[in-house]
Amino acid sequence: MAATVASQPRSSKTESYIDNKRKEDIRHANIVAARAVADAVRTSLGPKGMDKMISTASGEIIITNDGATILNKMEVLQPAAKMLVELSKAQDSAAGDGTTTVVVIAGALLKQCLLLLSHGIHPTVISDSLHKASVKAVDVLTAMSVPVELSDRDSLNKSASTSLNSKVVSQYSTLLAPLAVDAVLSVVDPAKPNMVDLRDVKIVKKLGGTVDDTELVKGLVFDKKVRHAAGGPTRVENSKIAVIQFQISPPKTDIEQSILVNDYTQMDRILKEERNYILGMIKKIKATGCNVLLIQKSILRDAVTDLSLHYLAKAKILVIKDVERDEIEFITKTLNCLPIANIEHFRAEKLGYADLVEEVSLGDGKIVKITGIKDMGRTTTVLVRGSNQLVLDEAERSLHDALCVVRCLVGKRFLIAGGGAPEIELSRQLGAWAKVLHGMEGYCVRSFAEALEVIPYTLSENAGLNPITIVTELRNRHAQGEINSGINVRKGQITNILEENVVQPLLVSTSAITLATECVRMILKIDDIVTVR
Amino acid sequence: MLQIDRIFKDEASEEKGERARMASFVGAMAIADLVKTTLGPKGMDKILQSTGRGQSVTVTNDGATILKSLHIDNPAAKVLVDISKVQDDEVGDGTTSVVVLAGELLREAEKLVAAKIHPMTIISGFRMAAECARDALLHKVVDNKADAEEFKSDLMKIAMTTLSSKILSQDKEHFAQLAVDAVMRLKGSTNLEAIQIIKKPGGSLKDSFLDEGFILDKKIGLGQPKRIEDAKILVANTAMDTDKVKIYGARVRVDSMSKVAEIEGAEKEKMREKVQKIMAHGINCFVNRQLIYNFPEELFADAGILAIEHADFDGIERLALVTGGEIASTFDNPESVKIGRCKLIEEIMIGEDKLIHFSGVEFGHACTIVLRGASHHVLDEAERSLHDALCVLSQTVNDSRVLFGGGWPEMVMAKEVDELAKKTPGKKSHAIEAFSRALLAIPTTIADNAGLDSAELISQLRAEHHKEGCTAGIDVISGSVGDMSQLGISESFKVKQAVLLSATEAAEMILRVDEIITCAPRRREDRM
Repeated sequence: MAATVASQPRSSKTESYIDNKRKEDIRHANIVAARAVADAVRTSLGPKGMDKMISTASGEIIITNDGATILNKMEVLQPAAKMLVELSKAQDSAAGDGTTTVVVIAGALLKQCLLLLSHGIHPTVISDSLHKASVKAVDVLTAMSVPVELSDRDSLNKSASTSLNSKVVSQYSTLLAPLAVDAVLSVVDPAKPNMVDLRDVKIVKKLGGTVDDTELVKGLVFDKKVRHAAGGPTRVENSKIAVIQFQISPPKTDIEQSILVNDYTQMDRILKEERNYILGMIKKIKATGCNVLLIQKSILRDAVTDLSLHYLAKAKILVIKDVERDEIEFITKTLNCLPIANIEHFRAEKLGYADLVEEVSLGDGKIVKITGIKDMGRTTTVLVRGSNQLVLDEAERSLHDALCVVRCLVGKRFLIAGGGAPEIELSRQLGAWAKVLHGMEGYCVRSFAEALEVIPYTLSENAGLNPITIVTELRNRHAQGEINSGINVRKGQITNILEENVVQPLLVSTSAITLATECVRMILKIDDIVTVR
Repeated sequence: MLQIDRIFKDEASEEKGERARMASFVGAMAIADLVKTTLGPKGMDKILQSTGRGQSVTVTNDGATILKSLHIDNPAAKVLVDISKVQDDEVGDGTTSVVVLAGELLREAEKLVAAKIHPMTIISGFRMAAECARDALLHKVVDNKADAEEFKSDLMKIAMTTLSSKILSQDKEHFAQLAVDAVMRLKGSTNLEAIQIIKKPGGSLKDSFLDEGFILDKKIGLGQPKRIEDAKILVANTAMDTDKVKIYGARVRVDSMSKVAEIEGAEKEKMREKVQKIMAHGINCFVNRQLIYNFPEELFADAGILAIEHADFDGIERLALVTGGEIASTFDNPESVKIGRCKLIEEIMIGEDKLIHFSGVEFGHACTIVLRGASHHVLDEAERSLHDALCVLSQTVNDSRVLFGGGWPEMVMAKEVDELAKKTPGKKSHAIEAFSRALLAIPTTIADNAGLDSAELISQLRAEHHKEGCTAGIDVISGSVGDMSQLGISESFKVKQAVLLSATEAAEMILRVDEIITCAPRRREDRM
C-alpha cells in the first residue's frame, strides 16, 4: 500500500469525516458516559429540584442539592465521566454556585454533538464552532447584565436568596441571604475592593436549635468547652487574650528523658518542683494581665494538666485548649494579636483585647464566644445551627454557595436575571447569529443554541410544569423583546423575572457556559483510551 | 550426529529471520499507527487511563507523553518510544512526527524485503536518501538572525505552529506571545529551568500570564511582614526543630523535674542560637525547605524577618538559582554563604490562593508563567504544550534557521529524493524511492486527520512543488493547498532535521535485526 493511497479515494474535498469504527465507538462511549453523569444531577436543578441522598462507603449519609457535592461523592470510573466531575469542581472554585447548571449544560451540548457527529462533521470543526459560540454567548450575557453597586444591599440580598432558594434550607433564605451579604461585605478589604478571601469567613456548625438560630458573630466562636477546674471563670469581661503555642504542663524535652527516683523524699521533691514549675509559668502569664488563654493543640504533650488547670482557675484565667494550628492564623488575624511560642516571650503587647469572652450553653453542648474585639481584623464568623447533622451540613453547603455568590458580585459587579431567562435569550440570539454564518459552523452554532434550552426545559420539568408549553412561550416572549422574561416557578408561569427578584451574578452564568464548552471540546477531541501504567 | 534440542534455558526463546523481522515491523508500525491520529492541527487527543492506584486520567495530544506511559513488550516498539523520548529531550517538539516517519519507513521497507531486496541494500539507500533530503532542506532554509524584527516574527510563527496542534490552539496568539517573551528573556541560554510554570485551577486559559520574577506557592509565617523591599534572602535546607543527638536510644537521665526543665530550656536556647546565627547573615527573608516550628517562627517574626517554611525541593532550588543565592545548611560562617537578593517580596493573590512573589531578582532573565484553566486535565495538557513551544523556541534562538510548515519540508525533501532515485543506478534506487514515499506520509496523515481528501491534496501539492521556489503546503483550516509564507506557518530547521535523522536511524536499526532472543526472566528465590 503506497503512502499516497493510504486511504480509499474520496469523492469530494469537503470536510466530511470518515473515521474508523473503533474511534467512533470510543467517542460514543465517552459521550454516553458523560451524559449519564449529567442526567444523574439533572433533577436537582432549580428551586423545585429534588435532593439526593448519598450513602458513602463508610456508612455516612449525606442529603444534598449541591451538584458539586453529589458528583464529588459519586465514585465514577469512566474517564470521560470523571471529566464532568472535574468540571463541576472547577465551577465550584470559579464561581461557587451553578455547579449543577454547568453539568446539565455540558450534558445537553454532548447530546447535540452526538447528533452532529452522526452527520459526519469533523470533531475539530464542532469543537471550534463551540468555542466561537461560547465567546459570543459571553458577549450576549454581558450585554444583558445590569450593573450593581455594593451599597445596593437589596440586590445583593436578592441574588443570595436566589441561590439559597433551590436548597433544602430555602425557607430560611430571608434569614441566610442578608447574613451571607453581611459576612462577605465585612471582610472586604478597602485596599483591595475586588478581592474577597472566603477563608476570612469562618463557619462554625453546632448541632441543636434550628436553622433559624443561625447567627453572624462579630468576633470568634469556638466549638469547644472552656477547660476549667472547680471555680475557674467561664465569663471574662475586659479580657486580654493570649494565643500560645506552648503547653502549661510539666516540662518535656525533645530528647528522650527519664527521671530516676531513688527514695521517698526525692519523690516528694519532684512533685513539689513540678508544682513550682507550673506556678512559675502561670505567674508570668498573670503578670502581663492576661486572663484568657487559647492553647494550640500539641500531639506531643498535654495542653494542660489537672494541676495547671487548678492554678489557672485560681489566677482567674479562662482556658480554651486544642486550637488547631491551621486556625491560629485566622484567630490572630481576628484578635489582632501575635502567637506566643515561648513563656519567655510572653509580653503584654502580644495580647489581644476583647470586651467579653464567655461560655454559652447551646442545646446539649457549649461554645465559647469572643465578642467586642478591639481593632478586630477583617474576619467574621457564622454560627450555623440545625436540628440534625444532615440539615446542618446542607445548611453549611448552602451558605457557602450564598457566600460565593456574593463574592462573585464583589469581584464582578454585574447581575443577570435568573429563572432560565439568560439561557433562552442566548439560545434566541445565537440561533439568529447561526443563520448568518457559513458552512458547518452555522450548523454547529445552531445546535449550541438549541442545547442551551435545556436549562429552562429542566427548570419547568422539575417544577412539574409542562416543559414544552413553557419553553415555547418563553421563546415567544423573548422574540417579542422581553429579554427578562423567565420561568416563575412559584406561580408556574412566565413573568418578568427581574421583578420577581430572581437574580444571579453574571460570573456564575458566564463561567458555566465557558467551562462547560471547554469540557465538551476536550471530550470531543478524544479518539482513544490507552491504558497505561 | 546428535540433534541439539535446545541451546537456551527454559522460558528463553528466540525468533529468527523472517519471523523476527516480521515481529519488529508489526510492533513498530502498531506504535506509529497509535500516535498517528494525534498529528497536525486537527489531530485528536488520547485519554491515558492509569491502571495504577487512583486510576488517574490524563488527556493529551503529546506523542512523547503517550508513548512514555505505554506498556510495551515488543522490542522494536521500544526503539520507537526511545526515539520519541530523545526527540523530546533534544528539541522538545516533533515527537509524534518522528515516530510516524519511522513507522512509514519500516512499512516501505517491509514491502522491499518482501520483494527480496537485501536489508543492507535498503539501508544504504535510506542513508543516501536521508543525506539528500537534509541537503535539500539546507538549501531552502531562511535565516533571519540579522534582523531582530524579522527574527521575532519568525519566533512568533514557530510558536503558533507548534501550539496550533495542542489544546492551546484557540488562544495560540496569547500563548505564543507568552512563550516568545519568556524565551527572549533568557537571552540565548537554553536553560529552561529559569522559566517557572505554575498551574492554578480556576479562570480560563486566557487569564494565563507571564510575570517577571519568581512565584513561590507558599504562605508567609504569622506576624511577619507581608512586603519587603530590597530583600536579602537566605535559602536553607535545615531542620528548625531542636538539634537532637541522632543516636538511637540516646536519652538523658535526671533525678529531678527542674533538671528536665533545664534541658528543655537548653534545647530552646540552642534553637535561639541557631536563629541568631541565621539572622547574623544580615537577611530579611529566610526560606527553608523543612518546617519551621512555632518557636523559631516567633523569633523571626520578632526580628521582622520574613520566614517561609516547607518550600518544596524544586521551589528552593529554583529560588536559589534565580536570586543568585546558595542553599545553606550550616550557619557558622556568614561571610562564606552567598545570599540571594531581590527588589521586592510581596504576597499576591491568584484565584483563591495566596502566593509569594519575588520580583526584581538577580538572575534577570528568570520569569514565571502562571497558567489558569478549568481543570487539572486542561492545566496539565497546557503545561505540556507550553513546554514544547518553549523548547522549540529556545532551540531556535540558538539555531535561527527556519523552514515553512504544513507539510512543505516533506514535499521539498520528497521531490529531491525522487530526483536522486532517478539518477541512482541499481537496486538502491528502489529504497530511495520508498524513502520519498514515506516522507509523503506526513502531509498525508495531516490531511487525513483533518478529514480531508489526502490523495487529491497531495497530488495537487506535488504538482505545485514542481515549480521552483514554491511555498505551498496544506492549509488545514480551509482544506486546500495554501501559501505557507502568507499563512505564517513556520517550523524550526533543527526540529525537522532531528525528525529526519533519528527516524532514519531508528528504521535502520530495526531493519538490521534478524533475530530476537528473549532471555528467561530471572526467578525470584522462593522465600519459605
